[in-house]
Amino acid sequence: MIEEHVEFVVIGSGAGGAPLTHTLVGAGRQVLLLEKGPLFRTQDQSPTGLSDFKRDETFATGSEKRINIPGLANHGESFFSSHVEPDLNDEPHVYEGEDGKQRATIEGYTAQVVGGGTQLYGGVSLRFTPDDLRLASFNAGRSDLKDDPDGEVRREAQDWPLTYDELEPYYCKAEEAVGINGTWEGQEKPKSADHYQTPLEPNRISSFAAAGMDALGMRRYRTPLAVITQDHPPSGRTAPRDRDSIKTAFVNRYGDPLGLKSNTWVSLLSLLVGRENFELRANCTVTHLEAAGSRVRRVHYRDPTGKARTVTAGTVVVACSAIESVRLLLWSARLDDGFEARINGNGLLGAYFLTHCFGGAQCRVPERADKSKTLDSDWATDHCARAEWITEHGLWAGGAIYNNTSDGALPISLARTWGATDMDSMWKGYLSDLGIAGNRFEEYLELNFGRRLSVAFMANQVPQRTNRIELHPTVTDKWGRPVAYIRKGWHPHDVALMDIFAEQCRQILARGGAIDGTVSGGSVGDSVVRIANHVLGGARFGADPATSILDKDCRAWQFDNLYVTDGCFMPTSGSANPTLTIQANSFRIGDALLRR
Amino acid sequence: MNASLVDIDDLYVLNYCARFLARGTSEPRHDFGQFTPDDRRAMICESWRFPIVDSYFDGVSIENSYRYNTVTFVYDGRAERPTSVEVVGTFGDLYDPLTLRPIRFLGDETGYLALAVRVPKARVYRYRFAVDGRWLVDPVNPQHERVDNGELWSRFFTDGCQVPLVLNRRERDILGRMVAHLLPFRLPENWTFVDRAYNDLDHRASRDRRHFPLPYRLDREVGVVNYIDKLLARGEQHHADDYHVCLGLVDALLRDRYSGLDPCMLPTDAYQGLYQEMDADEVHGWDNLRYGSPRFFLLLLRRHAMTGAFTHPKSGGNSGAVAWAYLESRFRDENDETLFDWRRAIEAPLGHNTDYRG
Repeated sequence: MIEEHVEFVVIGSGAGGAPLTHTLVGAGRQVLLLEKGPLFRTQDQSPTGLSDFKRDETFATGSEKRINIPGLANHGESFFSSHVEPDLNDEPHVYEGEDGKQRATIEGYTAQVVGGGTQLYGGVSLRFTPDDLRLASFNAGRSDLKDDPDGEVRREAQDWPLTYDELEPYYCKAEEAVGINGTWEGQEKPKSADHYQTPLEPNRISSFAAAGMDALGMRRYRTPLAVITQDHPPSGRTAPRDRDSIKTAFVNRYGDPLGLKSNTWVSLLSLLVGRENFELRANCTVTHLEAAGSRVRRVHYRDPTGKARTVTAGTVVVACSAIESVRLLLWSARLDDGFEARINGNGLLGAYFLTHCFGGAQCRVPERADKSKTLDSDWATDHCARAEWITEHGLWAGGAIYNNTSDGALPISLARTWGATDMDSMWKGYLSDLGIAGNRFEEYLELNFGRRLSVAFMANQVPQRTNRIELHPTVTDKWGRPVAYIRKGWHPHDVALMDIFAEQCRQILARGGAIDGTVSGGSVGDSVVRIANHVLGGARFGADPATSILDKDCRAWQFDNLYVTDGCFMPTSGSANPTLTIQANSFRIGDALLRR
Repeated sequence: MNASLVDIDDLYVLNYCARFLARGTSEPRHDFGQFTPDDRRAMICESWRFPIVDSYFDGVSIENSYRYNTVTFVYDGRAERPTSVEVVGTFGDLYDPLTLRPIRFLGDETGYLALAVRVPKARVYRYRFAVDGRWLVDPVNPQHERVDNGELWSRFFTDGCQVPLVLNRRERDILGRMVAHLLPFRLPENWTFVDRAYNDLDHRASRDRRHFPLPYRLDREVGVVNYIDKLLARGEQHHADDYHVCLGLVDALLRDRYSGLDPCMLPTDAYQGLYQEMDADEVHGWDNLRYGSPRFFLLLLRRHAMTGAFTHPKSGGNSGAVAWAYLESRFRDENDETLFDWRRAIEAPLGHNTDYRG
């Protein structure tokens, strides 16, 4: 049998893989896209007229299951995953806790489905700032950084090998092709074109956040969200006649049965189906890559039955989300010393793993709103991403602040996230709050249903070499491959930064007149596991092969034809949710591949 | 009764097979206590998802379609590659086997075979496969039913099913008393609301079967007991023993405490006191050898009660969407507009949304 050969194999169909696929296929190049997860179609695409995504709260956290992996400290504990997140027993991520014990975690997984994380995310689509891409230059010569006595933050700060101006046209392209609603007025990021659709009326509860931002002199804008509110010619999608019906609160952690959320499947890939130079194979898990010298020759994968198959490729693009991409590369290197020498000659593969410094403040507002009529966020501010603010506070980098509107909007989600600090502690807060019963149940609803408002921040995390992804020495996945082992902690400067940002969020609520009772606030600074599904770094790009894994075009330095284009290319994590930047960069790489 | 077949494509089936069935290892990581040691289902992820029970749409009217589910039978013949797989069941004529068709990937037969049928909601069905003429229960689906002549069949139930499957009458009664305390519906004004809502639904259902096709039992636990029964039958089978043991213990110890009075007749205080003891994990008269932690059971019950009360009614709880209607009616703005307009998002005829089909 003749082995299959294609011009490009792209592994992963989310924010990193889909945009460049769109570019390559549009230019007539031949692409095979392999995706581990299923292809879940919208109602209109499905032959049955029904989507595999439902407006059903039990889809966001399914039945209880138990971690059943010998040797892990949370063996026997409950976990709840959505219908498109991996089963933790089949494919755990393992992390080392503060107590030195190892546990399986759902944190750090993006969805395994065509469209990847963009199927489940809230759609917040902020750009990074120009300074986010030049934090080494920004911090050069500074000695005023909080909690950084040894100057480590300044030393580890990185400039990206490209400038904001170089990336900017691709931000425009992503905003146009993906389909985003929002407003520009009040943003600190330069733009050359406005492709935003008109946002919908904000939820009433967000008026407190708006008032707080105003009172603090923070310029605000409508949070750019990857949800179409009008017909979207680039993807051929149409908006419902009653535009207000787009707001359902089945947003964050829910796939959209109508395809209005601009995930990469509906916005970029579905319109390529049927072209003879494009094929999407869902339910296919790539197990490893095989190289001959400086060329990756063969992609090994399991088809939907588990049968091992291979395909040879002219060029291979890895975009499985940062942790999984690093795992794939590490495992390929484990199987072949030559691969190891080329991909990891400097020992940095998996190192400088990043997520975000994030957190915020939450309170009960005096007036109830119908939170079931909402998207994920209404108002954002770049106030704390401005250079003046950053230096004034002795910080190395900034962050975005926005209010969440969909959290706890529906009755079960209010309960399962009650007092929960992360994906692993889902339900635990509510269940142990035994007072919520009988008459007190009524009181709990009265005080909280439609009355919880949170303001969140998303800020740069200090890159540290010790924060890294490794192959776990003993735990394997359902194919017998080592699973990812996450080693991470926070720098003292991260903790200082998070304290300052959390206080800004608290002030927004306080000054907005939002607080009825107490305000709870904080950050992930007290927990090493929390990741917010923003998995970044681990194979960073740079200008110097000695200190990076990828070159400016996200090509592995010592390979002619291996590219890595999900969030793991980032040398710093940016002052905002990363998806739009991953998409913009992927469009940029698409153009670079066409030029080769 | 001829079964009506539904057209599904191979991708729909492979989406389930790849995630739940395909694997390269044989570790029993999916056994949470629900399987016997030699049960191969312990290696399969979420074996309870088979057969696949999904919504149905006739391509024209979601209202007319709402009475049905699409049920997809999947046979995993990757190992033995049978030449013929048929299914018979109470969803169709028992003398008329239906043939599963091979599912292909890249033109090759995968070894998976599947067939989808339209099946009325709210019922329990049994079925068996004939694999090359040999009758057997579904090797993946863990639900079984032994019929009168002693034969073992596979079982499934459709959305909104109200038929008790796991808990006996006594257990359901005790459970009803226990969950009532965990929900907001025991306040007198909320009782009135729930009663009125059910009377109204009952009244409308008698006039309009098309819009209110599912029979709802009137209960003040808004279907939570039924929801738990269905969860123990399918998605959380591993908790069935927790309920059997603990409901028995509660029944016995309350009877003991109240000198033989039927625990179902006891005043609310009796249960309230019990909760406090369970919370402290020290229940007077509790047999710790039979069940170690009453607190663990309380937490389980709390999650199930909360989910069952406010879940989509298709899962058997929140029957008639009464808990959603309660929130809708309970929380209103200054113009008496509701502050939980759930009907906008949810499919018709349960909700008002005409774009989303459920």
